[in-house]
Formats: sequence, C-alpha cells, structure tokens
Amino acid sequence: MTFISIEFLLFFAGIVFTYYLIPHKWRWILLLAASYSFYATLSGYFVLLLVISTVFTYFTGIVIEKQETKQQKKRAMLVGICVLLFFLGWFKYFNFVNDSIRAISTYMNWNYAIPYQEIILPLAISFYTFQAVSYLVDISRGKQKAERHYGYFSIYFAFFPQLVAGPIERAKKLLPQFKVEQTLNYDNISYGMKRIAWGFFKKTLIADRLAPIVASVYDSPDPTGSQIVLATILFSVQLYADFSALSDIAIGCARMHGIRLTENFKQPHFATSIGDFWNRWHITLSTWLRDYIFMPLCKGKKKRSEIYVAIIITFLISGVWHGAAWTFVLWGLIHGFYRAFGDHTKHFRGKMATFIHLDQSPSLHKWMKITTTFLLVCFSRVFFRSDSVTAAFEHAQQFLSPSSWSPSGIIGAFEMFSLLDLMIFSFFFIVMQLFHYIERNNTSTWNWLSQRPAVARFAVYVLIVVSVLVFGATGQGFVYGGF
Amino acid sequence: MMKNIEKYRSAFMDALELEEDQVSEELALGETREWDSLGHMILISTMEEVFEVSIDAEWMTEFDSYKAGKELLNRLGVDFVNE
Repeated sequence: MTFISIEFLLFFAGIVFTYYLIPHKWRWILLLAASYSFYATLSGYFVLLLVISTVFTYFTGIVIEKQETKQQKKRAMLVGICVLLFFLGWFKYFNFVNDSIRAISTYMNWNYAIPYQEIILPLAISFYTFQAVSYLVDISRGKQKAERHYGYFSIYFAFFPQLVAGPIERAKKLLPQFKVEQTLNYDNISYGMKRIAWGFFKKTLIADRLAPIVASVYDSPDPTGSQIVLATILFSVQLYADFSALSDIAIGCARMHGIRLTENFKQPHFATSIGDFWNRWHITLSTWLRDYIFMPLCKGKKKRSEIYVAIIITFLISGVWHGAAWTFVLWGLIHGFYRAFGDHTKHFRGKMATFIHLDQSPSLHKWMKITTTFLLVCFSRVFFRSDSVTAAFEHAQQFLSPSSWSPSGIIGAFEMFSLLDLMIFSFFFIVMQLFHYIERNNTSTWNWLSQRPAVARFAVYVLIVVSVLVFGATGQGFVYGGF
Repeated sequence: MMKNIEKYRSAFMDALELEEDQVSEELALGETREWDSLGHMILISTMEEVFEVSIDAEWMTEFDSYKAGKELLNRLGVDFVNE
C-alpha cells in the first residue's frame, strides 16, 4: 500500500475518522496499530525489526538518562548508537562493503571467499535510525527527557505519514504533539487535504510522467550527449517533484491528525548557492547532518581548511546515507567539494562580479547564481542517477562536453517525448512553477488562494483533482522511499 | 590576567582574523567578510575553548552579533561585569 493508491486514501480516511471518534487516551493505540499495519503492507516481516529497534531505543534512552556523569551518559549513548548502526550497516551496507573488498581482493590477487549475500533492505531503516540516533544524542546532551510512555515513544518512531521517507523529526518537536488532545479542526482538515492533493499532483503529473523518459536515456546503452543533458535536467525536476510530493503527503496526513511536521523543501532549484541549496533541499536531513555530524566535527577547529574537511566528511556521510554505492559516495564528495570550493572562492567571485559590473544588476546577478547553482546540482545528479561508477563517468563526460549543449541537439533530444506527453508535462510544469511563483511573492500559496473568490478557489482545487484522475501516471515507487 | 571582556574581544580577533579596531559592538554575523557561516564555526570553537563552555547547536544561531554573543556567554556563566 503506497501513498499513491486508492487503498491508502481509504485506509487513511478510516484512520482519521476513527481518530476523532475515540477518546484521546486511546488514540496512541490507533496510531500505532495504523503505523505498524501500514509498514507491514510495505515491508512485511521487517515490522519486527522496527519493533526491536523501537524497544532497544526506548530502553537505551532511559539507561542514558539514569547515568550520573556526562562521561557515562556519552558511553551509554555510543553503545546504543553502535547497535542501531549495526542494524543499518548489516541490512544496507553489508554487500556494499563486501563487494568493495572483493573487488580490491581481485585486483590485488588476494583470496576472498565471502560471496554476495541476498539481503533485503528494510524500508525506511535509514530514516527511523536517524530519528533514533538524534533521540539518544539529545538525551545524552540533556536536551531531551527519556520518554517513559512506550506507546507515544513507539509512534514517534513509526508515525505512518513520515515513517517511509521523513521528514526526519526530532522527539522534542513530535512527542509533545502526540500527547496534546487534538480536536477536530476545519483548518487542519482543509489544509491537510490540500497538501495531500498537491502531493498527488506533483507525483503523478510531474514525477511519474518524467520517470520513464529519464529512464529511457539513463538505461540506454548509447545515449547522445544532448539526451544526457536533457534527461539530467528532467531528472532534477523529477526528483524534486517526487520527494517533495512525498513530504507534502506526509505533512498533509499528519496535519489532518492535528500534528505539524517540519517543512522539508523551500524551492531548492531557486537556490543562489550550494550552501543555500542545502538550506532548501531535504531540510530535515541537512539540519540532522549539521547538528549531529558537522558541528561535532567542527569542535575545536580553528582553521578554515579544517572546517572544509568537516564539510567534506559530512557530505560523504550524506552520500552514503542516500545509497550503498560508490556513485552516491562520489555524489556526496562532489557536493562537499562544491561547498568548500564555493566558500574558498567567495570573495574572488564577489570581486569579479564588481569588476564586470554584474553587481549593478542585482536581478541579473541573482538569476545567474540560480542558473549556475542549478547546473552544478544537475551535474552532481548524473552520479546520483547513474547505475555504476563507469556509467556515471561516461555520462558526466557527456554532460560536460560543449557539443552536448548545442541548441539543435537539445531540441532534437526532446524527441524522447511524444508530442502529447510533452504538451501534458509542459502544462503541469507551468502550473507547478506558477504555484512556486506565488509562493515566492507571498508566504504561502494556500493562504493566497484562500483570499481569492470561492469560484476561483474551487476551480483550482477541481483542476488539481481532475488532472490527477485524468492525466496522472502511476506505478512508480518514490525515489526516496528506497533509502 | 586578562579580563573576560578582553578575552572576548581577543577571541573575535583570533577567530575571524580581525584588527582591534574592527571589533565593535556593532559587529554582526554576515555583515563582514570574515564573519560568515564558516567563520562562525571557528568563532564558536574559539569561544568554547577560551571560556571553557559548551555552546549547543541551537544556541549557535543565537550568537549572531557581538552583543548577542556576550548575552549568551553570560547565560552560560561568563561574567563580564563583576569579575
């Protein structure tokens, strides 16, 4: 049962209806049963691993809190994190490490006997493990009390709207919300439904319409350079639409229960620098990495070069978190390099902008920065999307080749679309950009829309729903659902 | 022995490589070339070492000016007045 299905909508409607029907004291049971049932439909027996991780984190949190000294708390926390990372490492990284050692052994003519193991990746393990780690670290730092109510703690661990792919929430934000008695509120229901509908719109009309077109190029044995350029740009649009749709649906579903989740995206493709991009893309992962990896790595660092090393390590971890493959390691490394190089050359670039009088045209300067950042992000995504390191380097070479960017070549590459598909995609892409444009000029498109006349408002809602029903493409899983 | 306020000013000069006359009450994060997001990390590390305190991630964003930094350190037990 995925988010994009009638089954999920019926299941969800039933949960929301029952949630407001029963007394507050029983709601945690409903949410927990719903969360485990939802997870079981997606990942079967791995619900047991989820329960084991929950029980382990619950008791480890209490043990950490009971330690008397900071040193003891830290030791208990590290033991807890090692166990959680062992689960993650076993299921997600065993074959990555095993294959890498075997490749090195073959190259060095060493004897290495451990074969490839058939290990299935439990869904969402990267997400709930990161939530668990943040919980244990926060208790150890004295910023979070160990939760004693096992039911509420289990929902924090497995809350079905955000279990599969985030947002990665902190206990401090989520746990108190479960304990507050939520009353049926028109605004929450209305806003939640709109966010879910918008998620369906982005997923079925943008992401899933682009997915087969991007795949036709990346799975092709001999794509042209222009096809790689166009497919990579389209993949960026697909990835944004796909992942932000998932967040929209999660935020909408939670809001209908009166729970507010953290926003995960702020129009990342309008970022003016790589640093700015990471403040807008997968925000809850970025802040997690900042608080639990980057900042501890920066402790005691007095030189920029040392901070650059911390940045690169943080991005490498981000890459490995995304996937157990060298392509993701390279992707992380590229972003680490971008960030460090961008900082190192910041003043020089500022001087250059002044020298060529670009700073006298702020708007032009801003759009040049947006375009450059977007293209840098696209280049890194060649590695994110390619199936192997060899293919990634071939595609990267094609992406960087000037001939791949010839206008005639790019126009020719549009042949990968049928005319009808191109028209449908273009229309809905423009609708999404209009939505973003309104958001950039107002704080929220939904607020802006609520101030329009009822007819206009409902025309938009009908357009979204009818478009999904008539033109929506389905059948593709969520890209980030696989992490 | 240096007073805390002198240590504070000196930490700014060391961490952000500023001259003495550049450290003023008006100094703020993002308003000088030296005090950018990465310079901020170096500044926080320096302050932690100089005053032997631990500045949490959520407090780091509070430390966004010369004045705000003093107030934060004051809350962490660094006395700038009655030393």
